[in-house]
Amino acid sequence: MNTQPFHEITRRQFLGRASAGIGAAALASLLNPTPSAALGVAGLPHFAPKAKRVIWLTQAGAPSQLDLFDFKPGLREQFDKDLPASVRNGQRVTGMTAGQARFPIAPSVFEFKQHGKAGHWLSELLPHTARIADELCIVRSMNTEAINHDPAMTMLQTGSQVPGRPSFGSWMAYGLGSENANLPAFVVMISRPSGNGNAQPLHERMWSSGFLSARYQGVRFSPGKDPVLFLSNPPGITTERRRAMLNDIAGLNRLKLDEYQDPEIQVRIDQYEMAFRMQASVPELADLSREPASMFERYGPESRKPGTFAANCILARRLAERGVRFIQLYHRGWDQHSDLPEHIRTQCYDTDQPSAALVEDLKQRGMLEDTLVIWGGEFGRSVYSQGQLTAKTYGRDHHPRCFSVWLAGGGVKPGAQFGETDDFSYNVVKDPVHIHDLNATALHLLGVDHTRLTVRHQGRDYRLTDVHGEVVKPILA
Amino acid sequence: MKRILCILAVTASAAHADETSRAAKIDFNRDIRPILSDACFHCHGPDRNVRKAGLRLDLREEAIKPAESGEIPIVPGQPDKSEFVQRILTDDKDDLMPPPKAHKALTFAQKERLKQWIAEGAEYQIHWAYLPIQRPNVPAANLHPVDAFIRQRLSVENLQAAAEADKVTLIRRLTLDLTGLPPTPAEVDAFVNDAAPDAYERLVDRLLASPHYGERMTVDWMDAARFADTNGYQVDRDRTLHAWRDWVIQAFNDNKPFDQFTVEQIAGDLLPNATLEQRIATGFNRNHMINEEGGITPEEFLAEYTADRVETTATVWLAQTFNCARCHDHKFDPFTQNDFYSLKAFFHNVSENGVGDYGRPPQLSSPPFLSLPTPEVSAKIASLKAEIEAAKQEHASAAKELAEAVKEQPQAAKDQPSPAKDKAQAAKERLAKLTKSLADLENTVPVTLVMDEGKPRDTFILRRGVFDQPGEKVAATTPSSLPPMRGDLPRNRLGLARWLVDPANPLPARVTVNRYWQMLFGTGLVRTAEDFGSQGEPPSHPELVDWLASEFISSGWNTKAMLRMLVTSATYRQSSKQLPAAHERDPDNRLLARGPRFRLQGEFVRDQALAVSGLLVRKIGGPSVKPYHPPGLYEQVVNQKDNPKATYTQDKGEALHRRSLYTYWKRSVPNPAMLLFDAPFRETCTLRRPRTNTPLQALNLLNDPTYVEAARFLAQRMLREGGDYSESRLEFGFRLVTARSPRPAEMEILRASLERTLRDFRSDPAGAAMLLKVGEAATDAALDVVELASYTALASTLLNLDETVMRE
Repeated sequence: MNTQPFHEITRRQFLGRASAGIGAAALASLLNPTPSAALGVAGLPHFAPKAKRVIWLTQAGAPSQLDLFDFKPGLREQFDKDLPASVRNGQRVTGMTAGQARFPIAPSVFEFKQHGKAGHWLSELLPHTARIADELCIVRSMNTEAINHDPAMTMLQTGSQVPGRPSFGSWMAYGLGSENANLPAFVVMISRPSGNGNAQPLHERMWSSGFLSARYQGVRFSPGKDPVLFLSNPPGITTERRRAMLNDIAGLNRLKLDEYQDPEIQVRIDQYEMAFRMQASVPELADLSREPASMFERYGPESRKPGTFAANCILARRLAERGVRFIQLYHRGWDQHSDLPEHIRTQCYDTDQPSAALVEDLKQRGMLEDTLVIWGGEFGRSVYSQGQLTAKTYGRDHHPRCFSVWLAGGGVKPGAQFGETDDFSYNVVKDPVHIHDLNATALHLLGVDHTRLTVRHQGRDYRLTDVHGEVVKPILA
Repeated sequence: MKRILCILAVTASAAHADETSRAAKIDFNRDIRPILSDACFHCHGPDRNVRKAGLRLDLREEAIKPAESGEIPIVPGQPDKSEFVQRILTDDKDDLMPPPKAHKALTFAQKERLKQWIAEGAEYQIHWAYLPIQRPNVPAANLHPVDAFIRQRLSVENLQAAAEADKVTLIRRLTLDLTGLPPTPAEVDAFVNDAAPDAYERLVDRLLASPHYGERMTVDWMDAARFADTNGYQVDRDRTLHAWRDWVIQAFNDNKPFDQFTVEQIAGDLLPNATLEQRIATGFNRNHMINEEGGITPEEFLAEYTADRVETTATVWLAQTFNCARCHDHKFDPFTQNDFYSLKAFFHNVSENGVGDYGRPPQLSSPPFLSLPTPEVSAKIASLKAEIEAAKQEHASAAKELAEAVKEQPQAAKDQPSPAKDKAQAAKERLAKLTKSLADLENTVPVTLVMDEGKPRDTFILRRGVFDQPGEKVAATTPSSLPPMRGDLPRNRLGLARWLVDPANPLPARVTVNRYWQMLFGTGLVRTAEDFGSQGEPPSHPELVDWLASEFISSGWNTKAMLRMLVTSATYRQSSKQLPAAHERDPDNRLLARGPRFRLQGEFVRDQALAVSGLLVRKIGGPSVKPYHPPGLYEQVVNQKDNPKATYTQDKGEALHRRSLYTYWKRSVPNPAMLLFDAPFRETCTLRRPRTNTPLQALNLLNDPTYVEAARFLAQRMLREGGDYSESRLEFGFRLVTARSPRPAEMEILRASLERTLRDFRSDPAGAAMLLKVGEAATDAALDVVELASYTALASTLLNLDETVMRE
């Protein structure tokens, strides 16, 4: 238990005590301030980690497991038949389909084949993912309680449907700190679909640090002039002018420090230096111009367009190379309540090749073994059609009772599959994995016992997995 | 490195724990309750559903009787015979308490303390916060009461209070603390030259009378009330509640007594002959998030809204973590799940829907609300309604005439046009047109969300907090472990509000004075301002908390008088320079051997820059505004159906330079600069912000057009108002920002910087011109470009100083 979630208090005391003895400046530079605390929590990791970092390819809006990963051949014969009441078993559906007279079964229109030595069943929509089948561990028994996007995404990120708790990346930035003095520990990138499908909104809270200090908040990297907010100097202020101004500021602040002896002043001096270093390190990071042409071929045609999921995947690899702990990509547009077959094609065009390329790229660089890649959304989609069902098209409503994710690298068993759903991909029938279990497992791979990374807030010790979560041991390598 | 920090952190927190001087005899609330609460109550405390072995350690009579096993947990006076002691000392992992898997291992010192407590008789005390407020005697009659309590403790610790800060520091500190704005050089001069003995007191009174005082106080209250301009969930459309925000500003400026302030916000609509203002005040409880997402279940979100009201009320007035009791009995404090839902019953009768109506205009999606038409619009509505009434009658009579006319006619004639038919048709069209005009007009009328009492709803305990798992039915009552509601109070929100400010209720006065203390001293006397329960931190000066609370009540809940009392103390007026000895002993300065020095809230960092540059528009209240905002943030995440361009549409003109509390607050994409400076998301009640110090803040202050533009205007003031010499201009700018004159070493840096920058821009006038193009407000075109740009760079340096963003 750490009673001081505001890490700087510790810092402050440390610096304060130190400044009475040896020079504060010397110690502060030793401390190497970063946008997220460099240091993490003492005693972490709890045991030797398999993964040093996480790349979470969050598919916002909830991709259909039925059309991508969870092959149900028997459904072909059930086309347009009513979902048996015994399957639904009176369970809650959303207000969007609660009023439907029928719940007609919509088998996937897409072909499935087995791939790799692993024999993973994958839909024709994922030819590139199929290529890396033997790297993937597919979990088909994911489940959650939340049935609407906002609470479900909040749940996926923070382990609670109720807003206000820290997201996974913030826990990591807090607990494990940063490996790079010039970059934040938790970076978020968001892409919009190239198609015109329904892109559900996202909220800053999904990568917020909740009750942890704001310094652990996910830092949004955006395409364009300022990958990080307010990064560029105003027009007319060159790097040389900025450097000279920072020297003036530091000189004046040092006079203040001499007079007031407040260690906070030293921290500010250091943070201004860090800001200056970020002005160099972030554009260097975001600049893909030196990536070879073969790289863009690998990640696909969209990867040359800044801000796309594909471009963000290349950036994710570059961030991983530089030791960023938690890299979270969001790709919006999976919320296919109608015309699913049309919209899911463009979503897969956006995501399939770059996701596979990222895994391959990491592997070639020898980084896959200590990078955990997770691909999936906030819940699944219903086997019954929302709206009109025809031979060619259908919609699918939200479905929290089962969905699929894949994991790769970072100590996960490659080529494995885990968990099963019933013949309708409606209920989990074997080895259920709740979001809390997934989070517990990811933390475990990072060398963290999820029951021991806690922070006191409002008198209670909180953790990412609340009071739940079991490590899914069978999928560990 | 990590290990070093760890050791130091432990040392530091040990010093912290020892802050309360330990008398030889154990004091239960100070020494024992925190240990039991943290390590034992989870399984042996108030929550009956998870209680293990039937053992309760939070009540003495339970702890000293034989447990289910037959063993006696605590035998007062005999630690050796107490099973409790054996279980915390044993080496047997299976018997050890707390069990190792709980990760709550007791330290040697804690075990010793528990043994000593049992040896001394195992006396219990009620948790300090629930005890009645006792007005203690002021320890020294010749001192300001605050100083008497603070100095008493300092002398126990062998520490000396610091000297008074100089007058310049004092006026800047006080002006920033009470108004969130800096003093002007003229105000500084007037105060420095005022030799009268009551100069300081008159300064305090002037600031408390400033309309900006109300704005400053409202910023904190907006955090507490989770105020925002959007609904928060999913599509996150706009709402209108600024009338409530303006009510709060006015209430603070009018010094509305805190009890009245409370009653009007909780139940203004239920007061006899409630005024429009009193009904607007109830918007407090409509600030929670509202869901408009298609497909949600209204009951689920009605449960969220009402729970939010319970939790917010319990946090703001009681500093109790009621959210813990939503799903189960509280693990540490004496509140049951029944208490939670009984409190919810007060808030459950609002004529609201649980789900916003996405089909309606955003401001009208979530009744109940009040329309706030201007008098002209009111008159227009009334006249339209009268016209509609007339048109209805006209239509009815025309229809009747037509019916008469065609009664006897054959079918063929009926189909022919006729004057009667035309008349009826015209009347019908006129009525439709008028009805539409009225609806259109009403859609444009500003509204504000309010509370009301609709059809009463039954309230049930929700098992595990889940909306569709109702249990036992409950009635509206206050928590059973706190003093009961007076018999004459109605069992509705008005009764609840009056109970909250009943002087017999020990919490609200303590909690409120602690927040005022926190506002002025940076840290509350109870550091955990939001948690006065047994897991919160005990007060550093318990008697002072009670004295202030008692004083607050007896003053008639007079907020300005309380603030005046605090800021006129010598404790508040101390210099904030650190003295090595005191710092070593008390690194967090909880004992207040010096004045606290801390960073301004984000809002005031920006307001100060606008004020010193002369850009600030000092208009009070009105709809929220959209100042500069970095591009691209909305595009990535917002809902495009309501905002097809998916973009932030920045305002123009004076809206760019209003105080920051008026900045549009979108919950899904809150103003990024404010977030960087630790503003909360405003999704839930917040009573205490962290104060971080990060490189992203540096980037904001250096590069945000807000500050680059402010620097340009500050530069213009330096050139125009700072005299004819560079030195006087630099001094003037420095004084505007910090209130004081630069010292020679500082002036040396500033002068060298100016010379360098002038030289530099002279060789790059194009660069100078580019810098001056940042921001939409125009500076004097007659000013020399190179000179203005150079002073702009200097002004930016001034706005980035540590001293500038601190109050010291």
